[in-house]
Amino acid sequence: MPFDATDVALSVLKIAIVLLAILNVTPIMVWVERRGSALIQDRPGPNRVGPFGLFQSFADALKFILKEDIVPDAANKLLYTLAPAIGLLPALTTIAVVPWGRPFMLHNLHLFGRTFFQQPRIFEPIVADLNIGVLLVFALASLAVYGIVVAGWSSNNKYSLFGGIRASAQMISYELALTLAAVSALLVAGSLRLTDVVWKQTGYFVLFDTVKIPSWNIFSPAMWISAIVFIVSGFAETNRLPFDFAEAEAELVAGYHTEYSSMKFALFFMSEYMAMTTMSALIVTFFFGGWSIPYYVPPATFLGFLLTALVFLAKVSFMLFVFVWIRWTIPRLKYDILMKIGWKLFLPLALANLVIVAFFIAKGWI
Amino acid sequence: MFEYVIFFFFAAVAVIFAMVVITNRNPVVSALSLVVSFFALAVMYVLLDAPFLAALQVIVYAGAIMVLFLFVIMLLNLQHMHEPATHPIQQFLGYTSSAAFAIALVYYLLKYAAYNVPASPFYTDARMIGVALFEAYIFPFEMVSILLLAAIVGALLLSGRVPGQRPNAGDEVAS
Repeated sequence: MPFDATDVALSVLKIAIVLLAILNVTPIMVWVERRGSALIQDRPGPNRVGPFGLFQSFADALKFILKEDIVPDAANKLLYTLAPAIGLLPALTTIAVVPWGRPFMLHNLHLFGRTFFQQPRIFEPIVADLNIGVLLVFALASLAVYGIVVAGWSSNNKYSLFGGIRASAQMISYELALTLAAVSALLVAGSLRLTDVVWKQTGYFVLFDTVKIPSWNIFSPAMWISAIVFIVSGFAETNRLPFDFAEAEAELVAGYHTEYSSMKFALFFMSEYMAMTTMSALIVTFFFGGWSIPYYVPPATFLGFLLTALVFLAKVSFMLFVFVWIRWTIPRLKYDILMKIGWKLFLPLALANLVIVAFFIAKGWI
Repeated sequence: MFEYVIFFFFAAVAVIFAMVVITNRNPVVSALSLVVSFFALAVMYVLLDAPFLAALQVIVYAGAIMVLFLFVIMLLNLQHMHEPATHPIQQFLGYTSSAAFAIALVYYLLKYAAYNVPASPFYTDARMIGVALFEAYIFPFEMVSILLLAAIVGALLLSGRVPGQRPNAGDEVAS
């Protein structure tokens, strides 16, 4: 394969866009979470720093950087330091296989007195369009537990250890249901590529030869169960309330990051919000049509791409708000209920739904 | 050229961390090193044009099995195991036999395998793997699933409670 400077430049550009987007999610989401919780609990929330308290996150970040970084004497120093980074890595990389806009043609771009793209080429708004895209998502998601487990163990604190053990058991349990629920979306698309999953959802279902419904997976009755299983398991995978047993501040002080302070704690915080964003993007891609717009076919131009990217952003933002909404509405479950739901309810449901989806496909209803 | 750099880097990572697994006294560090080693192995699969296998390697070994290992290690809290001292004769036998094995391995690898790596030895596509599994190899595939089912039932039977009998106080903690 010859070295193509334009290809490399485009890849770097895409990586930069995605990385900047996902890194900036944390301060924004912290603000949304705090103001959202205040809204739900009928109190003002942070409203002193900047308009609507928007700059509160920057003040928090500054505080995190300036705080003393404490490493407990009894901790395993190497693993204790590595754990936040191990947790951050999957959270940062998983988003690479999620498409975030409609592909469009690049041609004859005049910039800096030069003409770029004299042969037209397609700009695919996805960092890595792998033919095993979904498998990569699950591979990285399965590694996400190590950050928490290693943090819990290396702190040499009983509460931390409990948090780590709970997290590992919980994430193994819900990974299965999550994967099986996603498989039904893949069955419909007939591909492991996430771009194919989205393209499949740009079409229409026609009801009674008259009503046209966008063929988002959420609109086909066979997918309802798997959508619910996927979303709830997504909450469990990202350790969000009502499933945040790894932290469970009422029982475990702060769970796996009890001993962490300063930027190391901030990294855990960031990886939680990034994992949330990735999960929202996956939910949107699998069930809510990705970047597709109902009843409108965007043109394959830069404007069309921009429109679809904004639509994708809006959908992901809404899912993120749902995460906040549910966190401040539903209280934490009991741990045995969590395990029962995972193994005795969601796993059989997801399996049964897979059979139903396969039946629908065989009948040609999807 | 670039592929060689990646190959030798990850080969070194795989070998070094595999050695950490057996030399480190701390079971948690050993388990985590094994994860790194598995991950480096997955990179080898990618270099051999088998990304599907690489993803499965990470999902199954690094993601699922090693998490279970870690879970058990942490649950039992195996921190500092003191192994009984070995007899010098045992040590001598162990070192010589493993050295002989290593020499034999290197000899045969150099003689047969190293210079003719097959171009694309694996099914690279998920669809092709599926077709192969469910047409050509359907019988072994089903046999393996029955074997796994038997193992699950066996594990449940060995560890489960007898219906109607109240569990002891200690059993609750483990479940």
